[in-house]
Amino acid sequence: MTSTTFDYAKEAFDFIEDLDRLGTTDEVINKMESALTLFGFENFILTGIPNPQQRFEQMVLLRKWPSGWFEIYAGQEYVRVDPVIRLCKQTVNPFEWSEAPYNREIETKAHEVMTRATEFRMARGFCLPIHGLTGYEACISMSGTHLDLTPRTKPAIHLMALYAFDRVRQLVLPTQQMKNPLSAREREVLQWSAIGKTASEVAEIMEITERTVTFHLERAREKLSAQSKIHACVKALQNRLIDL
Amino acid sequence: MTKIHVVTGQNKHLYEDILEDSFRLRHEIFVQERGWKTLSRADGRDVDAYDNEEAIYLLALDDGKIVGGQRLFPTTRPHMLSEVFPYLASTKGIPSGPDIFEWTRYFVIRQRRTGRTDCRLLAAIQEFALEQGISQLTAVVEMWWLPRFQEAGFKARPLGLPQLVENAWTVAVQIDVSLDTLLHVLKLGGIHGSVLEWQKASRPGEGHHRPRFMKG
Repeated sequence: MTSTTFDYAKEAFDFIEDLDRLGTTDEVINKMESALTLFGFENFILTGIPNPQQRFEQMVLLRKWPSGWFEIYAGQEYVRVDPVIRLCKQTVNPFEWSEAPYNREIETKAHEVMTRATEFRMARGFCLPIHGLTGYEACISMSGTHLDLTPRTKPAIHLMALYAFDRVRQLVLPTQQMKNPLSAREREVLQWSAIGKTASEVAEIMEITERTVTFHLERAREKLSAQSKIHACVKALQNRLIDL
Repeated sequence: MTKIHVVTGQNKHLYEDILEDSFRLRHEIFVQERGWKTLSRADGRDVDAYDNEEAIYLLALDDGKIVGGQRLFPTTRPHMLSEVFPYLASTKGIPSGPDIFEWTRYFVIRQRRTGRTDCRLLAAIQEFALEQGISQLTAVVEMWWLPRFQEAGFKARPLGLPQLVENAWTVAVQIDVSLDTLLHVLKLGGIHGSVLEWQKASRPGEGHHRPRFMKG
C-alpha cells in the first residue's frame, strides 16, 4: 500500500482512539493484526526484556508469531543472543532488524537466530525499543516478507505500536509485569548504598532515621537472599532491580 | 531532600543565581549532550523567546543545587508549538486557552537519572497544574518519552504524526492534568506529601497571596 493519498494519520489516530474501547488482549491482537497487515507485517510481539534472572516467557505481553517459532525461540534462549534485543537495549530509536549489528563469524548463535527466523518467513523486521522511567525495558518487534517501511509509514506504525503497548500493559498489569521484588524505598536505599553512601548518609539524604535505613536494607537483603549489604547491592545491580 | 521550587516573574529575583545556573545546565544538556544545535549560543546559556516574565520554572533543588527543571508557558501567547512546530499538530490542531500551558525544557542532571528526581518533577507539574486550575499541558517531545508518560500515568494524546526534527522522531502531545495521574506518579516514586516549594515574594504594592495564572 504505497498510495500517496493513503491517510496514515487518520489510520493511526483512529487506531489509537479505538484502543481505549478494547477490553481484552485478544481484541488488541486482532486490532493490531488488521492495522499492521496494511504495511505487510505478518507477525509481531510485545514483550518486556528479561534480566538475567527472568525468563523470556514470563515477559511476553502479546504475540502473534508463526506456529512453532515461540517454542524454538524460548527453548534455545535466543533472547540472550538476539542482536535485535541487544540493539534494543542500547537505543531509543526504532530500527530495522538488518541494522542490528553482530559478528557473523564469532557470534554463531546470533547468526543462528537471525537465519532461523527467515525460515519462518520473518525475513524483514522492525523493532521499537521501550525504555521506562525506572529501568523498565521492553520492545515491540514486527516482521514479514514484504514490508511497507518508509519515512511516511514508520511514524504511523511507531505511534500505533506504542499506544497498543500501553493498552496491553493496562490489560495485563494485574496478572504479571516487571515485578521488581523490592519496594521503592528498598530500591532507593540500595541505590545510595551502591555508590558508597553509609547508612547515616543515606538517612540524611532520604530524611529518615538510620534505623529505618537499616530496616529497608535488611528487608532488601532477605528478599534477594544476599549475605551482606554489598552482596545485596551487587545482586540488585546484576538483576537490574536498581540502576546507578 | 529535593524540592521543586516554583519560580515565576514575581519571585525570580530570589532565584537569580539559580536561574542562571539553569540556563547554563540547559545548554550543557540540550546542546552538548542531546545535540540540539539550534539552541546553541556563544554565551553557553540556553535562553529562548519563552524565557521571559510569563515563564514559570519548576526547578528541582537539592541543598541549593539544581538537579533538574522544567518550564511552563501560557498557550494564550505565541509559544513554541504555535510558532516553531505548528506542523506537528496538523491532525488535531494547536490547543490553546487560559487553562492550557505548554511544558518545555524538561531536564535532569546526569547524576540523578535513576528515576526518583524524574518522579518528583513529574509529580510537581501535576501538583502545580492542579493547584492553578490548569487542565491540559501541551508538549513537543521525542517519541521515547511516550513510554515514560505511560509508566508515570500521564495520559498523553498525539496532536499529529511524529516527524523528524533535527534527526529525532518528535511528536506533539496534549496531556491531561488529573489527580489520578498525580497519585500514580507519587506512588511510582515512593513520594509522600507535596513536592512543591513556593517562596512568595512581595515587592512594594503586591499582595501576599499565591498568584493564580488563570486569566478570565
